[in-house]
Parts: sequence; structure tokens; C-alpha cells
Amino acid sequence: MSLLAFFFIVVSLLTFVAAQLILKRAMEFSATNGMRNSHFTLLVAVGVALMTISFFLTLGLLQRFDLSYLYPFQGLSVIFITMLAAVLLKEKLSVRLTIGALLITAGIVLVSMS
Amino acid sequence: MQNRPSGFGNPWLQLGLSVACVFVSELLLKRGATDVAEPDSALSWTGVNGLASPLVWWAILLIIASFVSWLYVLRCIPLSLAYPLSRVVDILVPMGCWIFLGELISAVRWCGIALVVIGLALVAKPIAKMEERL
Repeated sequence: MSLLAFFFIVVSLLTFVAAQLILKRAMEFSATNGMRNSHFTLLVAVGVALMTISFFLTLGLLQRFDLSYLYPFQGLSVIFITMLAAVLLKEKLSVRLTIGALLITAGIVLVSMS
Repeated sequence: MQNRPSGFGNPWLQLGLSVACVFVSELLLKRGATDVAEPDSALSWTGVNGLASPLVWWAILLIIASFVSWLYVLRCIPLSLAYPLSRVVDILVPMGCWIFLGELISAVRWCGIALVVIGLALVAKPIAKMEERL
């Protein structure tokens, strides 16, 4: 796999994870402040824009690689969420989470070699 | 979970529908992207040319449907239960690639897929809890 392809895989996953978290924040904000305000609209617009970027990058990747090759890379989203939680929430890694993340990483390395 | 709606409004049925929509949309996206693939064009990295395939549009509709039913599921089932169950799609997609798309999956790739699936099964619950807090 080329470096360019790996770059696009990572960007498509990062934008997907960021979009999910931003849309969730928007829905939480709307529960207390309603939907008719600029902050809510901005959050939804950014979330949808990021999701759209992720979708098109995936479509570009699917033109070049097998789905069975690309799909396991979605496991990387777990690694991103874990890192985000560690930075934003100061969460500590449980043994279960560490073993799971290592298995996912090993699996992705194997798939990328195939 | 009390006063749970029955029939089409049953959240477990909606969870199944959401997973099925994701599964079928992934296969349609792959088929559609392959139909209109232009790997030599740098612009095709953006994926925009994929919109020329009707299969991609069907996939978009299914993604929207899965999103709507997933939102409904989350109203009735906690994320820390719904998310691990939804990961069944990680098994369905590689099987679908093999059965419906005829992709030749090598032993090394099967092993890699298996490790990712086991890893995801292990972390699904803690990740769902983290996402709830994020």
C-alpha cells in the first residue's frame, strides 16, 4: 500500500470520528438550548461537512482496493477514540482496552501486508 | 425500556435493520465505486466521480436509513449495549466480500480480519462508555 493511500485511509477515519462526536455534541446542545440558534446550526454543518469528506474519500479508496482490505481499517477509529478520551477526559487505559487495541493493531498490520 | 413499542417500532428490529442497511450499503458502495473506477486520475482520490454510479446513490439512501434507525435505537437501548451488538457488521462485511463480491481473501487477510473482530468485540463496551462521555 502506498503512503498516499494510508494517508487517505487515516484522514477518512479521523473525519468520521470527529463528525460523530461533533454531531453528538450538537444534539446534546439542542436538548437544552433548542435547534433555532447559530451555535447548533454551526455544529451540525461542521459535522455533516466532515461526514461528507469521509464518505467521498472512502469512495475514492474503494475504486482502488478490495472492501475486505479496507474494512478492517475502520478498527482504527477505536484507537482514535481511545486517544481522544485519554487527552480530553484524562481516561486511563484498562487492561481490556489495551489488549483489544493491540489485537486490532496487529490485525490491521496483517491485513495491510496481504 | 418500558412501554417498548412492538412491530416495526421494536428497537431490536430497528437495530437489525440498521445493521442490514450498513452491510448492504458497504457492498453497494464497493460495487458502484468499481463500476466507475478511474484509478489513473488523481481527481478520483476525492471519490466524486463515484456519484456517476446509481449503486452509490442507493448506498447513500441506505446509509441515511441506517442513520435514522440507529438514532431511534439509541432512544430505547443504551449505547453501551447497542454499540457492541452493532459490531456484528464487522463479521458480515468480510463474509459478504467473499460471498457476494467474489473477493479472494488470503489466509493472512482472514487472520488479520479475525484479530480486528476479536479486538473490537473486547473493546466495544468500554469504547461505547467513552463515547457517551465524549
